Amino acid sequence: MSNPVLAIEHLRVDFPEVMAVNDLSLTIEAGDACGLIGPNGAGKTTTMRAVSGLQECTRGSVRVDGHELAREPEELKRRLGFMPDFCPVYDQLTATEFLDHFARAYDVPDRAKRIGECLELTWLTEKRDALCEELSRGMKQRLVLAKTLLPNPQVLLLDEPASGLDPLGRIELRKLLLKLRELGKTVLISSHILTELSGFCNKAAIMERGKLVVSGAIAELGQILGRRQMSVKWRSADGPALQILKGAGVQNLETAVQGATFEFAGNADALDELLKTLVVAGVRVTEWRGSGDDLEQIFLQSGAKELM
Amino acid sequence: MNLTENPIFLTQKRLIHRAGVLAAGLIAALVGLSLLSGLIAYLADPRDFDFKSPQEAGRIFYGWTIGVEILVLVIGGFSRISQALANDRKAGLWDSNRLTPLKPREIVTGYWFGSALREVYMGAILAGIGLVIVILAKLPVTLWLGTQILILSTTLFFGLLASLVGMALQRPQNGIGILLVVSFAFLQVFSFMFTRLAITNFLLPSYGIVNLFLDGSRAVNDYDTPDWLAWPGIFGLPVPPIILSVALQFAVGIFLWRATVRKTANPFQPLLLRWEAMAIFGLVAALQHGLIWEVWHGRFGVQLHNHSDYAANGQPLLAITHGGMLLLGMALLALASPLPERVRVEALRTGSGNLRMIFSRSAISLALALSGIASAALLMQFVRSFREEGLAWALATGNLFAFLLMFSLLLEYCRLRFKRRAVGFIALWLFVLCVLPFILAGVFSSEVLAKLSFLAPGTVVLAGPETGDLEFLAGCTFIHFFVVVLLFYAWQREWKSLLATPASLPPAR
Repeated sequence: MSNPVLAIEHLRVDFPEVMAVNDLSLTIEAGDACGLIGPNGAGKTTTMRAVSGLQECTRGSVRVDGHELAREPEELKRRLGFMPDFCPVYDQLTATEFLDHFARAYDVPDRAKRIGECLELTWLTEKRDALCEELSRGMKQRLVLAKTLLPNPQVLLLDEPASGLDPLGRIELRKLLLKLRELGKTVLISSHILTELSGFCNKAAIMERGKLVVSGAIAELGQILGRRQMSVKWRSADGPALQILKGAGVQNLETAVQGATFEFAGNADALDELLKTLVVAGVRVTEWRGSGDDLEQIFLQSGAKELM
Repeated sequence: MNLTENPIFLTQKRLIHRAGVLAAGLIAALVGLSLLSGLIAYLADPRDFDFKSPQEAGRIFYGWTIGVEILVLVIGGFSRISQALANDRKAGLWDSNRLTPLKPREIVTGYWFGSALREVYMGAILAGIGLVIVILAKLPVTLWLGTQILILSTTLFFGLLASLVGMALQRPQNGIGILLVVSFAFLQVFSFMFTRLAITNFLLPSYGIVNLFLDGSRAVNDYDTPDWLAWPGIFGLPVPPIILSVALQFAVGIFLWRATVRKTANPFQPLLLRWEAMAIFGLVAALQHGLIWEVWHGRFGVQLHNHSDYAANGQPLLAITHGGMLLLGMALLALASPLPERVRVEALRTGSGNLRMIFSRSAISLALALSGIASAALLMQFVRSFREEGLAWALATGNLFAFLLMFSLLLEYCRLRFKRRAVGFIALWLFVLCVLPFILAGVFSSEVLAKLSFLAPGTVVLAGPETGDLEFLAGCTFIHFFVVVLLFYAWQREWKSLLATPASLPPAR
């Protein structure tokens, strides 16, 4: 196992009347995109703020690329970019001036070139001379992301990046997130819109009431949580197929014409074996789809109570 | 980092220039040129004016010019800086800047020097026109230089104060500048009658400015000169008023600077550390007692100094100083004491949540330290009359301890018990314990009731040797300590209950 780029250990954050994060440990390796999922008040934003150094921790440690937040905050600041769930921009500055402010703050070499790159990456080149107040919510969100990318941080913390965006804005954001993955960025992203994270994240961490319920690779989480939602369709008689599906490991079988959905409690090998059994028995399988790697399913199976 | 490379400064400058500075500059120029043209008109034809000389006319017109300059730079600048910071905090930009590798002192400097640039331009125009007025009226250039040094120093001092206020405000407040004007105007009016004996006349440099207008170059430490002409004395040592004002603002400014930088690095830190609160209190106490030294020369209650101009009205000075110390102590306790929840988090972090640890963190130990400092400073006024007047000192000291302990306990008890509603309850209990006895005394025409106030024993006994019934005042102080003991038990119970409470989780959905 390689060294994690982001390592959170036994993190605890107390607010005056509530413990917002309770003994949270999470590691993310280079190039991973980890979705931080949880209902309102689960502690996602507090976790992100604590990792970035904006929120004081009661206990625990945060390390980015081996640099500990408590001991080397300056080193950590250079390696970590945090994008909050709202758009903090200077309304009366142009997009370029806004980026120039942060490029100077991060002491970015060859500022003009880097600003141009970040504007291009976030499809804002045409808006480079527009005042921030004239930008739409989605554009402001992208501008803040451009600001976050300016110092080329190793780790990106994106807190609810899709909040307040219209459907078009969400589509653009999704494309942008995929672009970040292509660039090999390590990302910790929180969102209520789980479909935004599906297809982008390869890992997920589910929080509830300040605690980490479960975390791991999305492909494995369904198994970790015990059940995998499956759907199968065939082009032959229903009898033999249903006979096989009623066997061990299959639960909550729901039949339809030439098809069925069910929950499978076994591991991936057992599931492969089940498919093989169906095919050997002459069932002409036309669709075999597992939704165990769907974040929404994982979230629901984890027992977390609310999904927005 | 150079100021011209500081991104916060550059952005503030950009924002101000984008909003426009020409109109503001023209307003300042118009005001200044109007005053200058008044002087020119007098010089051209003095018969139309009542001034006795060009110098007198020059002083009047220059006085108005710097009056406007002070208004723009100090009040306007304060309002602008505090609002810029509060706005950026609300918008999340302050946090964004804190996440960059910029050092906290660079962030503070950027706001401090950049947010009020429009006011700085206006002030510079007025200062330039003021110089022309001084030269045309053949006034000494030292008048211009001295007043401008004092204005600059005061602007920087209030700029730092504004940064701190901007960091402490929950939301941008438009009225904060007006509130400041009213508060300081009240303080200035109250302290004006005590001229060189009140520290406030040096923190706000009114004494230094008036002294310069009265041609302070002729004055030394001569008590026969009019009040505003003499140099102030610290324990008899004459000090030029400009030096005293600038040094005092610089000394207090260091603590304001430390507080703003600390708050930028970690907003959860208290505004003042305990040693800083003690240092500020010690500085103010020593300086104030040093300034009034000339009235009693350490013989309080026995005789007034022969040459003092304050033979007629000097005696209430010590009572007022005592009251001022109580109020300053109260303010410092409120600023330096951590919120109970923060102490609890610290206890959780270190795993040492016992009452001993709580006591060391709470405002009580600070209240004891501040009372000790104020008592020691007060002792200087009794140093040659302690045998005769020692009881008065002891009573005033008892009052200091009782009042500051009462306030610290009340502060923490209300914060523990009433949480977000604490401020209202603290105000209520302070009103009951300190102000209500005076109201009742007025209603029932009874001095005895007034002496029951927590403010009374010290101020009454220090108002003069004949004014207090010492035995009765001692009885009142004893009652006050009894109230302190009751509060201590309530305080202790609340702390134990808080430490025993396990940290709660967010509510389940």
